[in-house]
Amino acid sequence: MAPAVRAEYQEELDRLEESALGGLDLVSAALSRTLEAIEHQDVELAQIVVADDDRIDGRYLEVHQALITLLATQSPVATDLRLISALLHVLKNVERMGDQCVNVCKMIPLTGNEPPSHPEMVKLILAMGSQTKRLISQAKRAFAERDVELAQDLVRQDDAVDDLNRDCFRLALEIGDDADRREWAMTMLLAARAIERTADNAVDIGEQVAFVVTGLFREFEDASHPAP
Amino acid sequence: MPVTGAAKPEAESSEAEMKPPLPSTASSTVPADTRASAGRPAKTIETRDVNLFHGNFQAVEGVTMTVEPNKVTALIGSSGCGKTTFLRSLNRMHELTAGARMEGEITLDGHDVYGRGVDPVQVRRLVGMVFQQPNPFPTMSIYDNVAAGLNLSQGKVKRVDRDAIVERSLRGAHLWSEVKDRLEKPGAGLSGGQQQRLCIARAIAVEPEVLLMDEPCSALDPVATLAIEDLIGELKTKYTIAIVTHNMQQASRASDVTAFFNLEATGKPGRLIEIGPTEKIFTSPSQQATEDYVSGRFG
Repeated sequence: MAPAVRAEYQEELDRLEESALGGLDLVSAALSRTLEAIEHQDVELAQIVVADDDRIDGRYLEVHQALITLLATQSPVATDLRLISALLHVLKNVERMGDQCVNVCKMIPLTGNEPPSHPEMVKLILAMGSQTKRLISQAKRAFAERDVELAQDLVRQDDAVDDLNRDCFRLALEIGDDADRREWAMTMLLAARAIERTADNAVDIGEQVAFVVTGLFREFEDASHPAP
Repeated sequence: MPVTGAAKPEAESSEAEMKPPLPSTASSTVPADTRASAGRPAKTIETRDVNLFHGNFQAVEGVTMTVEPNKVTALIGSSGCGKTTFLRSLNRMHELTAGARMEGEITLDGHDVYGRGVDPVQVRRLVGMVFQQPNPFPTMSIYDNVAAGLNLSQGKVKRVDRDAIVERSLRGAHLWSEVKDRLEKPGAGLSGGQQQRLCIARAIAVEPEVLLMDEPCSALDPVATLAIEDLIGELKTKYTIAIVTHNMQQASRASDVTAFFNLEATGKPGRLIEIGPTEKIFTSPSQQATEDYVSGRFG
């Protein structure tokens, strides 16, 4: 193959990686708006997040198709093959994270215009969201820099999100007998769960970093076989 | 050549410590129609510190590797890296070139292929070869092309046995159904892919232990290529196969083990850089040179 053709292929692969990782910036922006919508009970902003998810889905479709074309036309192997496989996983996670923001935003109208909110629970959810944004940013940097250590550190960062999620659950249990308050708390628990899953998606991206670098895939943490 | 057989390892004579001679195949003692070799364990080729020369020029340096039984081993590498020379050394075809020389050791199931007294013709019967360009004998019929090797290696074979061997070999090469009604027609009248399968039938007619293939599909279209690759996959259940190919996808599709040859610079001898399971070579090779080659980052 002529070097020029190979150079074009390399440029295209670089461009697609940037574009796929750029999807994480879109997710991060969507999550920021989602948190703001929760904090201010902003139904309009929530609707914008739902509508804007088309941009994330569009990014998924566009980069996914281009990667499939590279697979079909360039027969990538070795590191390139691992990278393309990993980018397909990254894209799937980006798309899932976008959907989780949509899930949360669709719940905001359910809680009513003036919900019987519990400030501490809202604070916990906002803290979960901020921590998840840090995970997303760290996952992106770990991937771009092929930094396995930074990727593995995502597990530690994710533990903080899981702790906050458990705190939310405890608060919901103690929220009292008022039916409206309990309904609000249940809805907020679902929102917290969606954010917690978003953080898990960031850890999944970290696992792909290790795969690209080492050629071996392993879960950083196996939920079905937790470490003793 | 010592005559101590492998079946007598307990023998205490000094000859017992020497490598036994190349085994004769069962072909001379077992009737042809009963020699169905499916599922038989094939033989292993091992090379140790093999250096190959064309006159003063060293083409290959220090190759130590194993061609495992019942597996397809692909030899890949850029032109001039010595992979074909190495392949040809495995059945002593290398020495047919004027000025060619070999150092090191090549064994077939422990028997020294280059041992004193070993007949190169016998080696080439045990280790058959299929070439890049299909090379049927142009004036011979399809039948005679397949039987040609038998006549050369086994002397007179009864007609009924020969018929059985020709049919079995053509079936083994996936050609029987296409030629069974025109066995007396010239082999040269077949298509390129059919001719190559005819050459494979000719190679397996003499019941070799190992099949060497030197870019067997490079002159074939994709359909014929796929037919040969399917055939290779089937043949490995009976034979040990080593194949030289420039087609990376063919290596990744059709082989179990891949060996990458490279040369440091023009004029230097080719060396084995890396050998391993094909899946590993094409997903996470351990050497940067291998990665660069299989990814097309060279030149």
